[in-house]
Amino acid sequence: MTKHEFEVAMTCEGCSGAVTRILNKVEGVKFEIDLPKKLVWIESDKDVNFLKETLEKCGKEVKYNGTK
Amino acid sequence: VNLCSVSLGVQGMTCGSCVQSIEQRIGSLPGVIHIKVSLEQKNATIIFDHSQQSPESLSDAIEDMGFESSLSE
Repeated sequence: MTKHEFEVAMTCEGCSGAVTRILNKVEGVKFEIDLPKKLVWIESDKDVNFLKETLEKCGKEVKYNGTK
Repeated sequence: VNLCSVSLGVQGMTCGSCVQSIEQRIGSLPGVIHIKVSLEQKNATIIFDHSQQSPESLSDAIEDMGFESSLSE
């Protein structure tokens, strides 16, 4: 599974909580959130656009930093 | 156009930027006339066009954003 890194403009636990709940609803996704660095790492076989759109649901800006 | 308003409980917001992103996103849904989210009361009061939206669809939209919402009259 490829590990992708996204930058998500999360400013507080409320935002990271929202991202956590959104990703929990997606099967076949393992993720880690670093709130201070505003980073989200996702291990999944799904394509990047799907992952990016999923993250954008929380209303925050999402940037793709590439695979790790 | 038949307007009605609903107040939904919203859990999971902890700061103003969560409020803002909800107001922007839900406010841009078709049929949503006005939305006011209160961090203190943890609820969102929405005025919407009943032919385009419903309390359930609005609650789903909030859940879609990763926040928990409950239909509280």
